[in-house]
Amino acid sequence: MSLRALAVVFLASLLVGAARADEAFIPNQSSDDLTIVDLGAMTPGAALPIGGKPAGIAVSRDGARAYVTSPEGHFVSVVDARARRVLKRIAVDGQPFGVAVSPDGRRLYVADMNGRELLEIDPDSEKTRRVEIGAMPSGVAATPDGRFVIAAARDDNALVVIDAENFARVATIAVGRHPYGVTIDASGRRAYTANVESDDVSVIDLAERKLIGNARVGSHPYGVALAKGRAFVANQYAETVSVFDAATLAPLATIKVGEYPESVGVSRDGGTIYVTNWFSNDLWSIDAESYRITGRAATGDGPRAFGAFVRAVD
Amino acid sequence: MSPVAALRAIVIAVALSPLAALAHGATPQKVVETIEIAAPPAKVWAVVGDFQDMGWLPGVVKTEGEGGVTPEIAKRRLFLAGGGVIDERLVQYDDAAMSLRYIIEHVDFAVLPVGNLSATLKVSPAPSGGSVVEWKSRFYRAFPGGNPPEQYTDEVAIKAVSELFRSGLAALKARVERE
Repeated sequence: MSLRALAVVFLASLLVGAARADEAFIPNQSSDDLTIVDLGAMTPGAALPIGGKPAGIAVSRDGARAYVTSPEGHFVSVVDARARRVLKRIAVDGQPFGVAVSPDGRRLYVADMNGRELLEIDPDSEKTRRVEIGAMPSGVAATPDGRFVIAAARDDNALVVIDAENFARVATIAVGRHPYGVTIDASGRRAYTANVESDDVSVIDLAERKLIGNARVGSHPYGVALAKGRAFVANQYAETVSVFDAATLAPLATIKVGEYPESVGVSRDGGTIYVTNWFSNDLWSIDAESYRITGRAATGDGPRAFGAFVRAVD
Repeated sequence: MSPVAALRAIVIAVALSPLAALAHGATPQKVVETIEIAAPPAKVWAVVGDFQDMGWLPGVVKTEGEGGVTPEIAKRRLFLAGGGVIDERLVQYDDAAMSLRYIIEHVDFAVLPVGNLSATLKVSPAPSGGSVVEWKSRFYRAFPGGNPPEQYTDEVAIKAVSELFRSGLAALKARVERE
């Protein structure tokens, strides 16, 4: 092969690589829209109008759909993630906030923030089941095997475990003060929740359904992401990301980020952490090994992205 | 206040109090106000950075507090000319960066119709010489649920905080430039 042909192949592989980069789906609550960020180039695409003050996000495992909650508009938007198009709105009583999608993509789990319930919604038929969670349902996550849903009852200082099959409550686990975001590890063994008022992260053994311990983080933690055996936690008031060892819960680092960071996500390869900064209107990327800031992308006004906002692109 | 108005205020207060203590609205709001002051940053910070004296804010007749400027320890109570109080806690203090952040721990909605307010005051050198003071805040409307009554909407909360910050910065400017 000639040098020129090699160069063409090399450039083509770069282009393919760039096209296959993950994306971030970021609901902007103040500007009422959704920014889709190419995480390879850290460049935002056109904003998709959503309405209703969007806050929560869940992207399906296959990358086909994104679900966006609008607590003030009382609906969940179903977004065709590839076509960048809102397919429909599902009306929800109350204030839909935290949201997760089942691993098979067939069920949505939506927290009614100022109600007391978690809703299970079939996004096609819109058939709904409800279960009582407690005061101020916030973050939601489904276990990787799809058997359980974990929801934070923020003002009850508890995580609630729901059996996904019969949509019934099977356990309540006391955690720190005001648990908010909920993240489950890839093996489904542990859940992590950021406690806004007690400035720590509660780590839960999901098989035993008990608290393993609390890891100290910065002021007002909101979201947790897991990569390289470490937990990365956005601290809203401290304006930092705390890093701790996910096995020993020992603190490892504190990374200065933008203003009022809230949600954290991780790239598919586990190499990069992404954090939304609500006040400074941007998304930052952080190298999960060196903890260096590697990029910044502008979002709309007031990015919340409460939930799993990273989309794996096929 | 007329007996009817007083009763209505009590009914609203009782109706809101269990929620107000815990929950907040679904949409946090932003307010950013800035002002230029013809004085060196250190001179402006000498006033702004004294967490235990909020006397430069119009309407504050007395500040009582403890803990100096130690984050998470320092607290203050602002006594207002109208008879209300605002309880605040210092959460960040950076003397070198001339920046501090505080939160409101308690305020009656009649005084300020907001929930979960945090605010940052920062003094920077102005490009033209002198100083720029930025006062920015994140907060929620007073009413946590959907469809808030008209006195507790997002717009009412934003207006109240904007006006408070603007009047405070104007008074700060007048005081520092006079000294």
